[in-house]
This record gives sequence, structure tokens and C-alpha cells, in this order.
Amino acid sequence: MKKEAPIKLSQVTIVDPGGPHHGTCTDVYLSQDQILRIGGEKAAAETVAASHLHLSPGWMDLRVNFRDPGGEDKEDLSTGCQAALSAGFTAVGLSPELQPVTDHKAQVEYLLHQNEKTPLQLFPFASLSQGLQGTDLSEMYDLHRAGAVGFSHGTQAVENSALLRLALLYAREFAPPLHLTAYDATLRGSGQMHEGPMSTWLGMNGLPVLSETVGLLRNLHLAEYAETGIHCQRISSTAELDILRQARQQQEGITADVNLANLLLSDEDLHAYNPDLKLLPPLRSSPDREALRQAVKEGLLAVITSDHQPHREEDKFCEFERAAWGAAGMETFFGALWAGLQESFTLAELIPLFSHNPRRLLGLPVPHIDEGAQADLTLFDPRQEWQLSAAEAQSRAANNPWLNQPLRGRAVGVVSKGTILLWKDRLR
Amino acid sequence: MAELSVAHLLGIKYLNRDDLELIFETAAQFKQVINRPIKKVPSLRDITVANLFFENSTRTRLSFELAEKRLSADVVNFSASSSSVSKGETLVDTVNNILSMKVDMVVMRHPHPGAAFFLSRAVNSVIINAGDGAHEHPTQALLDAFSMREKLGELQGKRVAIVGDILHSRVALSNILCLQKLGAQVEVCGPTTLIPKYIESLGVSVSYDLDHTLAHSDVINMLRVQHERQHLRYFPGVREYSQQFGLTRARLEQAGHPDQVIMHPGPMNRGVEISSDVADGPQSIILNQVENGVALRMAVLYLLAAKQEVPAPAETPLSV
Repeated sequence: MKKEAPIKLSQVTIVDPGGPHHGTCTDVYLSQDQILRIGGEKAAAETVAASHLHLSPGWMDLRVNFRDPGGEDKEDLSTGCQAALSAGFTAVGLSPELQPVTDHKAQVEYLLHQNEKTPLQLFPFASLSQGLQGTDLSEMYDLHRAGAVGFSHGTQAVENSALLRLALLYAREFAPPLHLTAYDATLRGSGQMHEGPMSTWLGMNGLPVLSETVGLLRNLHLAEYAETGIHCQRISSTAELDILRQARQQQEGITADVNLANLLLSDEDLHAYNPDLKLLPPLRSSPDREALRQAVKEGLLAVITSDHQPHREEDKFCEFERAAWGAAGMETFFGALWAGLQESFTLAELIPLFSHNPRRLLGLPVPHIDEGAQADLTLFDPRQEWQLSAAEAQSRAANNPWLNQPLRGRAVGVVSKGTILLWKDRLR
Repeated sequence: MAELSVAHLLGIKYLNRDDLELIFETAAQFKQVINRPIKKVPSLRDITVANLFFENSTRTRLSFELAEKRLSADVVNFSASSSSVSKGETLVDTVNNILSMKVDMVVMRHPHPGAAFFLSRAVNSVIINAGDGAHEHPTQALLDAFSMREKLGELQGKRVAIVGDILHSRVALSNILCLQKLGAQVEVCGPTTLIPKYIESLGVSVSYDLDHTLAHSDVINMLRVQHERQHLRYFPGVREYSQQFGLTRARLEQAGHPDQVIMHPGPMNRGVEISSDVADGPQSIILNQVENGVALRMAVLYLLAAKQEVPAPAETPLSV
């Protein structure tokens, strides 16, 4: 519910590495759009007090698809925004993989227009090629001027190397590094899951790691030629991490991210042919998953994203091979992440990967927590244990693998664009 | 009376050794039955079985249908080409529509791996997997093992080679798992491009040289090259394939094991993976396999029908 200000957040632990108050446990006073005071005494209209409350800069999910326009039966801007806010996000990056594709300023303007209706900050990505066809450049400069936060190719690789070379050169002078998914489509073939002992055991066609490494090496070489950086999306394997580690020693501006599912699950979770876990890149082996976690630790993977890809039940409740690709994990993002990683990570190690870092990648200001700063905040309780049922979910997606699963850690409020949203029923 | 540990036959991976022995014992009894002048028994009277074939099949479907009819079941047949699947109906809807007509058991062949497993969780019926993509074909593996035991006795320590297109084969995985549960050692042999990269994780040895494999195997199970499943050309042509992996009389003689048993799950490509003189020769038990297929499928149908109720499907084994 919306709150009246000033409001006092009593004894909250601030998680804001690089910010002036990181690590302190104190009272924070807010107006609707500003952090008025940190510590000390001040009159407040309302006090929020609960055990284990933490406060960080507002969370950002770098890559979500709200299917609006074109797939509103799976999700739309309204349900997507509500689900994102409920999950504690104050900002999201919107995939251009829509119908029509975000490849013209009118589409960017449509998505930005939604910003007037929601406290969530929407940052549309545009497609670097017209219609995601991979043959001609989109009007990247015009899209950039219209407010596209960056350029990507959705879930698809840019298969045409010559076009990618042009896109890297063309965008270099005005846009942040391109966000690129890497794979060689011919090596993916008709694969359904990670190629390994588990795919052999389940009789499924494999998706070899090779398809990603071949694509990644090509992308890195093209970036080097174009003398620009790239952001490598959806890293899933040890082999890709080795390539990235080496590339970063030789090239500037190489960054990378990982999908939540690849960080938490592995191909062994497919033993019952669960179509909700049919993902691209696929869930890889448990040693790969361990290597991804290590890469998060060392900073090689700078961002964790839900890669929210909502689908209808009809597209998932079927034979594995017929099921649609992708999972919708945005609404349970933090609860699933913290339940899975709390024993090997601190909050200070993880929170920046979905608050500070995505903004840095896109050249957006990081909303550090300080007196006088604009309030862009997520209030959360990392100890709260909860589950989300389909009936309670805000998202329309039927394919969230973490529905009805034990979760740990939950957002209890967000402050964004002059609105304070606080879920009192989540206070403990 | 002993009963199976499973409510469905989804794959060999879900069966234990006792299940295998029970199926073989029962099949041996049914084999006697079908060799009598009156081949029919009333065991499945009032039971209706639907044979759902979402993929072409002649012998497996015929074998199941005969098994069902010899058990006095009522049988309905369904094939994808004549079905509503081509009109966009989902698998679950198709099957539920058939089940509403009071069908008790479903025998299904499907092009996608895991389809039978999925169906067992989605509908309320006994499911028998008659082949799901390149995953499993459990009754084929059972009848193969049954036929080997008839010829060789206990399979403990026996060396069985599976030769040919392992990559696209559902027979291979089911056979490997079944033979291993019975104590046999399995080798797969074929062109490098048709051997799955991680096949050794199943505990089998791998050979790319047919003569080498022939030299030390008790049983040779020849698989067909599944051109219809190959999206790429995995080898340049059948002539070259045959040169390397075609089983001929000359090769068998060179291997020098006159007791070696030759098998093929059919349908055979004569002159490609197996020459006619081998297929029809004294070491071949190919037609015994076909005969045993009916008895074995009778056993499976009978044992699954004998389970009083349909409990929740067993959890799948996690280990590879």
C-alpha cells in the first residue's frame, strides 16, 4: 500500500557497498522521494519497525520480457510491473523481443510511456537489427535518442558476423556496449538440454557447451576488431568463464552476466523432464554451476538476472520437446537466490549484482543511500521464509519453477519515483 | 503373488532386478500358451487397451495388438496420421478423450523422449512405453534379454555388443540398462558420429571397429541406421557404412565364434547393416525375438493389469 511521509525505517541494516553508510544499522527517515536523514532523531508520521530489516539501493532486474506488446496472454506491462515491484525491484531492463520488435522509436516511446503509470522504472532495450532478423541494422541512433537504454538481440545470437561487426562499430560512439547472447545455432541443432551424462540417460538431444564457446569467441574477436566492449549475456559454463577470464586480460569493457536458474540449478534437475526447466542456455552440469558461483565471487560475472520469460500453461504443460523455452523467475528472484546461496555468499557480495552493477553497465546513476539523495530503495528481510503460490502471484506467467518452493528472503517495501510501497503483511 | 514394483512401464531405468525376473517368468508361461492350439487366455477380459502410435510402427504395434488379443483384451488402435493431433490437440487431451471412453491401459509410441513419463503424471491410466524418441523402448530390451537367456542361460558375465546407430536409438539405452541389471557387459560399436559423446557414463565400453568387437562378444545386436531421425548426414553413404559396420558371413567366420548369437530388433536393412546370409543363418535368432515379443508383451500387460490400483508414479532415480 502507498504510505504517507515522512516515514521512519527503524534500525535497518544498510547494504550499499561503495555507499557512505554501508554496513551500518540505523534509523532512516524518508519522504516520498528523498532520504531525509540517516541516524539521529526526527519526527515521523509513521515508523516501520521489524526484525532483520535491511535496506539497499533499489534492485534492478537487467533482463525481463513482459511480452507487451504482442504476447499479453503471457504477461503484460501491468502484471509485469506489479510482479517486479512485489519482488523488490525498482527498475527493469525490457527485452526487445516483442511483437512488434522494439526496433523503432515508436515502440520505445510506447514502453517508456508506461513509466507514467507505475513506480517501476522501465528501461527498454532495442534490437540492434531490424525485426530481430539479423540482416539490417535498426535505427540505433534514433532509438538511442528516443530513450533505448541499450541494444541487444533478445534471446537470439546475431548469426550474421558481418552485421554484428557493423553494429559494434556503429553503436560504439553513442551507446553502451551491446548486450549479446552467444551461440552457434548449427551446433545447437535440435538439442533440448545440456549435452552430458544426463542427456544420455534421458535420451535427449544435447546442447553442447561448444555451441556457446564458439559463439562467444567470435563475439569477442569482433569486439576487439571494432575496438569496443561487449556485455556477454547468459554465461552458463566453465569453458565460457575461462574464455572470458582470458579476454578480460586483453580487452577493455568485457562484462558478463548469468541467469538465476543457471546459478541455482543443474541438468540433474531435469530427471523428471520438467518443462519449466527447459532453458536456453540450458542448465549445465553441477561443476559448471559451481564455476558460475565462483565467477560471481570473483566479479567475473557482474550481474545476476531473472531473464524472466513468461509463458502460458499451454506452452509448458506438454511433452518436453514441444515445450517453450525459458523460465519466469522474476517474482521469486531474491527468495530463490538467497535460499540457494546464503551459505556461500554475504548480502554485500550478492546485492550489488542486481542493484549497483546493472546500472553501472548501462551508464545509469547508482542510487547510493545517503542523506539528501533521491529515494530509490528496496527494504527487505533476508531471514523471511515464504512460498509463493500461483494464486498469490502477480505475474501472469505459468512457468515459474520456484512457485510453491521454499524461499528465503523477501522484499517488504520499495521506494521509487516518489512512491513508497510497503507490504505490512510481510513485516515480521 | 509377486507383483511389479511399478505401476507403469516407462523405461528399464525404473525397474529393478526382481521386476525383470518376474516379467521373464511370466513371459515363459505365456510363450507356452501361445504355442498351444488354443492361443487365447481370458486374463484381460473386460480390460480395454488403447494402442496410441504417434509415430510409425509395424512390428511393435502388431506385437502389442496380438499380445492384447491373446489375453482377451478389447483393443483400440490410434495412429497420429488419422488423429486429432494434426488438428492441434494436445497429447493430454487426446489421451484423456480416449480414456473417457473407459479405456484401462495405454500403450504409447511417441517421437519425443520423456513423453510416456509425462503422460503417466498427467492422466489417470496405466501407461506402457512402446518407444519414446531416442530414450527407451523397454519391451524391446526385455524381449531381447529374454531371447538371449533362452539361448545362453544366465547373462551374468556375458559380453553383448550393440552395433550401429547408437545416437538415434531407443533400443540401445533400454538394452544397455536391462543387460547391466542382469549382469552382462555391454559394448557399443559404431561410427564415431553415431556414438553419443557421453555414452561411457552409462558404464559401457566403446568400439569403433566391428571386427574387434566381433572377436570378443557372445551376442551381437545389430541396429538399423535410422535415416528418418537424422537431421544431418552422419556418414557419407550406406555403401561406406556397410563396408565398416555391415555384418557379413566373412566377418563372422573371421571372428571365429560359431556360437555367437546374432540379433536385430528390426526392421532390417538387408545388405546395409546385416547381410542376408547372416540374418537367415544358423547364428541368427531374429525370428525368435519376434515370437518372444508377443509373449513378453503379454507378460507386461498382464502384470500391470494385475496391480490393483494405480498409485502415484515412483520417483525417478536421480543417479546416472
